[in-house]
Amino acid sequence: MTPESSGPRPLALVTGASRGLGEVLARVLAGEGFDLLLTARDGPALDRVRAVAAARGGAAHAIPGDITDVALRARLAQAVGPSRGLDLLVNNAATLGPTPLRSLIDLEPAALEEIYRVNVVGPIALVRALRPALRARRGLIVNLSSDAAVGGYPGWGGYGATKAALDLVSLTLAHELAVDGISVVSVDPGDLRTPGAEPAFPPEEFRQRPSPEVTIPFWAWLLGQARPAINGLRFQAQAEHWGVPP
Amino acid sequence: MTDLDFERPSQLQATDTPEDRGVGRDGVRLLVTEGEVSRHHVFRELPDLLQPGDLLVVNESATIPASLPARGAAGSFVMNLSTRYAPNVWLAESRWSVSRPGPVPIGDSETIAIAGVEARRVAGYPGIDRLAFYRTEADLFGTMLKAGAPIRYGYLAHPHPLADYQTVFARIPGSSEMPSAGRPFSDRTLADLRARGVGIARLWLHTGVSSLELENGDTGLPPVYPEPFEVPTETATAIRRARRAGGRVVAVGTTVVRALETASDHGEVRPLRGFTCRVLGPREPFGSVDALITGLHDPRTSHLSLLFGFAGEARVRESYRSAVAEGYLWHEFGDSHLLWRAS
Repeated sequence: MTPESSGPRPLALVTGASRGLGEVLARVLAGEGFDLLLTARDGPALDRVRAVAAARGGAAHAIPGDITDVALRARLAQAVGPSRGLDLLVNNAATLGPTPLRSLIDLEPAALEEIYRVNVVGPIALVRALRPALRARRGLIVNLSSDAAVGGYPGWGGYGATKAALDLVSLTLAHELAVDGISVVSVDPGDLRTPGAEPAFPPEEFRQRPSPEVTIPFWAWLLGQARPAINGLRFQAQAEHWGVPP
Repeated sequence: MTDLDFERPSQLQATDTPEDRGVGRDGVRLLVTEGEVSRHHVFRELPDLLQPGDLLVVNESATIPASLPARGAAGSFVMNLSTRYAPNVWLAESRWSVSRPGPVPIGDSETIAIAGVEARRVAGYPGIDRLAFYRTEADLFGTMLKAGAPIRYGYLAHPHPLADYQTVFARIPGSSEMPSAGRPFSDRTLADLRARGVGIARLWLHTGVSSLELENGDTGLPPVYPEPFEVPTETATAIRRARRAGGRVVAVGTTVVRALETASDHGEVRPLRGFTCRVLGPREPFGSVDALITGLHDPRTSHLSLLFGFAGEARVRESYRSAVAEGYLWHEFGDSHLLWRAS
């Protein structure tokens, strides 16, 4: 799926691209030869990432906004354009909900609804908006998951439930969009020292988590895989083994 | 952390092939460590040291001429390809020369040439500054055949042809450095093994570069990076059958152990392919094999750590004292070691 010497450069859209894992992904994808469409709420930070990515030889555009906003999703779809098509969509933007984290039972229903809007409804709505563009390029959708999706960790119930939901969304879309030639994977990046995770940990514990750059070899591997072979799979970027059934 | 140091006189390294030394591939020495005792054999005696029904598992990865001339803003240098992540994305090590490590400074937006093929740096490898991912405009496999040479380090007296870096099992190109445990096997050894009733099963794991361990081994934990592998269905089946019939499983090389351990699920080897990041060390004893045939490993390497985990540090240290006393030769063209699990 990395670009060949001839033909147009492939296009990737990364959400939550202003910092943390999204920023690393933007850099890696620019290096892999993708043109980029980047989005996040923090406009100035997003533009700095855009500039770094653009310095790697390809085009990079930043469209700041909130993934729960239908107008932003429409602008993104419009920026991709009807003819160009989208090779890769990375649903990386997510929220932990209120921090410090609290027990699921103590989470206000309104706060829980907001976590679902950002982490589950946002990615599904974005896929809806971009389906024709993804179909045009037989694209790949990468949904970022978490070990909290399976852990049942106290305090992580709201976030974890949305990531478990997103895992099922990934698997369902893998089946439903196969008819369009679109592939979907779920990736648990493992423990990372990212700004998004910082409010959830005591400073000492947070500092011991690895930099999001630790996932770079995994992304290099994933992008090299034949898409139909990985469709519907869930990966752990920091696992002992990345593989596909023989 | 276990201390991985030991004394090995510097003259005890093979600076040439056994053929150059006049003994032939299967004429290297074979240290056999069983129980608390190490005995000294010649490699071609291996079939007599095994029982009918035993199964050797070998790595059929072939060595590629992964060292290529490169050119960038910093001048001319050497690019040693380590691992292929995609048809045109390689993890690679930039070096000034065979004996002088890098990293060579290469900018994020710089276009370099690897044997005339345009390439760009994708991203650095996390935590290892001499390694980075590069994206090329053409598949480098073809380029290697024309312009590549086997990767070599300063301790070798002179360059060797690629054929010197192939084992008799080599079938699937992809290893940057020879899976050297299989090198002492000759056609004669294979015929003798067959006559003895010893089986051979195959898998592949493509090795990456080892320079960091060779040249920079005192940086703390030995680095181990992901390597591609496949344990085929037939091999998983052959291992299960051999075990059931009372045969012992002998891994030829630490690469084979790494692949089998990655593919092991509750002690049973299953077919699997992908990349393995599995680290095997003193705290990770493993059960997929009964013995290991391997070369002699340098101090402070992940391979030595794996041996400690397999056979126990004290036994390995005692066998290495014996190897040093008897003048065994280290490195890829050196002598061999058959190490049985502690009973």
